[in-house]
Amino acid sequence: MKPAPTLSSAFLEPGGHSLPAPLLELRKQRGTALVDMPLPTRKTENWKYSSRHLKLTDGLAASLPATGKDGLSLSLPGYRVVFRNGVMVPEASDFPDLDGILIQRFGDLDDNDAAALAERLDNTLDTRAVQMARLNSARFEDGLYIRLDKEAVLDQPLFIVHEVTGTASGSAYPRIYVDAARHSQITLVEEYLSSGDEPVMVNSVTEFMLADGANVTSVRLVMEGENVQHIGATGVRQAANSRFESHCVGFGGPLRRHDLMVRLEGEGGECKLNGVVVTQGKQHYDNHTSIEHVAAHCDSEETYRNIAAGESHAVFNGRIHIHEDAQKSNANMNNKNLLLSTGAEIDTKPELEIYADDVKCAHGATIGQLDKISLFYLVSRGIGRREANTLLTMAFINELVEQIPVQAVKDAAQLRLNEFFDQTFQEA
Amino acid sequence: MLSIKNLHASVEGEEILKGINLEIKAGEVHAIMGPNGSGKSTLSQVLAGNETFEVTEGEITLNGENLLDLETEERAREGIFLAFQYPVEIPGVSNLQFLRTAVNAMRTHRGEPEMNAAEFMKLAREVSKQVDLDPAFLKRGVNEGFSGGEKKRNEILQALLLQPKLAILDETDSGLDIDALQVVSKGVNALRAEDRAILMVTHYQRLLNYIVPDYVHVLAGGRIVKSGGRELALELEERGYGWLGVKDEEATPSAAS
Repeated sequence: MKPAPTLSSAFLEPGGHSLPAPLLELRKQRGTALVDMPLPTRKTENWKYSSRHLKLTDGLAASLPATGKDGLSLSLPGYRVVFRNGVMVPEASDFPDLDGILIQRFGDLDDNDAAALAERLDNTLDTRAVQMARLNSARFEDGLYIRLDKEAVLDQPLFIVHEVTGTASGSAYPRIYVDAARHSQITLVEEYLSSGDEPVMVNSVTEFMLADGANVTSVRLVMEGENVQHIGATGVRQAANSRFESHCVGFGGPLRRHDLMVRLEGEGGECKLNGVVVTQGKQHYDNHTSIEHVAAHCDSEETYRNIAAGESHAVFNGRIHIHEDAQKSNANMNNKNLLLSTGAEIDTKPELEIYADDVKCAHGATIGQLDKISLFYLVSRGIGRREANTLLTMAFINELVEQIPVQAVKDAAQLRLNEFFDQTFQEA
Repeated sequence: MLSIKNLHASVEGEEILKGINLEIKAGEVHAIMGPNGSGKSTLSQVLAGNETFEVTEGEITLNGENLLDLETEERAREGIFLAFQYPVEIPGVSNLQFLRTAVNAMRTHRGEPEMNAAEFMKLAREVSKQVDLDPAFLKRGVNEGFSGGEKKRNEILQALLLQPKLAILDETDSGLDIDALQVVSKGVNALRAEDRAILMVTHYQRLLNYIVPDYVHVLAGGRIVKSGGRELALELEERGYGWLGVKDEEATPSAAS
């Protein structure tokens, strides 16, 4: 029997960017634990469709160089923090110093804050289930720590732009930790972009810790190029009466993976997870979500839509786990999938584990094609094929795009969607 | 305007239309009547270009141009409009967006500038009133959750906006109560014009009390078996299809209204 592949030791060498001592120490510990870490294979259940797209060549092990702001063209409104190759670019960032809100890169944290963060990192994620996140913890070189004191409200969305430059082959490890105290509020946008065309791997981890009554909205826009493998994880823990809302919009690549794990740990917690994935060509996109109803009286609502064209492949795995004491849980999961070509593939798997007896749980998954009768109806009014197909495909995701609470993200997603429609649909 | 010669069409290998001949001139209103399964709806769908139906023989020309060479959308732009028997619900596409896209596709085809959202909204509101459809319906998904009557009125609304050369109304009267029938008929009568022809496909005579045709044809077994004027419809109402050697087991025209 062939031995299972393990992580090459080349990946255990973090780059030299400076970090406070407690974080260096944590990173070292995590690195030591990674020696001989088995990599996912076809037989690893939660990677069975995606392991063959995971290509961790030694060429990707090197940290991408930190660069300045040259070549960045940003026109985002509001507050923004820009990271390039996993390291913050202060000259391109713009956010205010607000009472009760700490927004600071890891490299600039004082010893107390760094120690506090070191204690928290990884505490929202079950890294046995999300094994690739462990690599981030062993390799991050910078990151953003956001801490909201109780009742602090960030008055505008905070954009965090993560760009990787593919001028040389290598990897980047974006990291974000959000600590939201009682009744605090924030809307945070993560935007993942790339330039250049050398092979690059992005391994990102974002964590949200919500105290009682905290209200967090997370928007995630994944738009890197064809040279970028992106393996991302988001961990969320929610205390009583907190609300977490997530809007993920992702476009495909050689490998796109996102694990989103939410734990509802206090009564009255609520989460809403929306996702839109669009793939074409030979792209691959894999979304794994997990919602744990640990406490009673929590609501979760999840809506994901995949659109696959060409010979692309999309995967959705949605797990809902209702613990024994989570009575009166209300969980709703819906995944609809649209195949735009005969060569495309979508695999969907709802997974419900229910150990409480007084709960409301619903799930539904469908896979279909564009409706021919609807298409005939539209073209019979003189509407061209491309436009008719576009209207029908947009109709499939409109509801989710409309719900994105940040106009700039809606606009950016729509622009990219229009490119996709132009490439996918032709006139008759 | 429209000329159909020896038209044969089949679906999944089964021949439905078996040699239709029909001439329609500008300004005329024709009614095609016939029992269920006679091929009335097939004829409408073939004219509009539904690819489910295969034309195996014959020709169709619109103002001398071979219609069968044209895609559905090209036929529409040349002036063919089909009011569907079962208008399609398309959630996620707003009625307003649908209508404006269609109107602008036509305008672009004619080399006219597109209408902007505000201009179009004004026009759509006016035409909505003409078919007694609350403008609130413009904001809803295309036909989404519309009642049968609302869907039919939405079809006529589209015809009024698109101003076709030939409007084909496929069972536009079916499922309408008398009030809705009057509204729809008023809309259709507003379409009557010297440079436009109307082809009504109907099972029942009652629509023809409101929209008086110039010619009536009886379609049975995939062929036109009898043609006449307005009086033919009245005769059918009185005598049914039996005297033409045509069976109509489901309903006779007179029993319907």
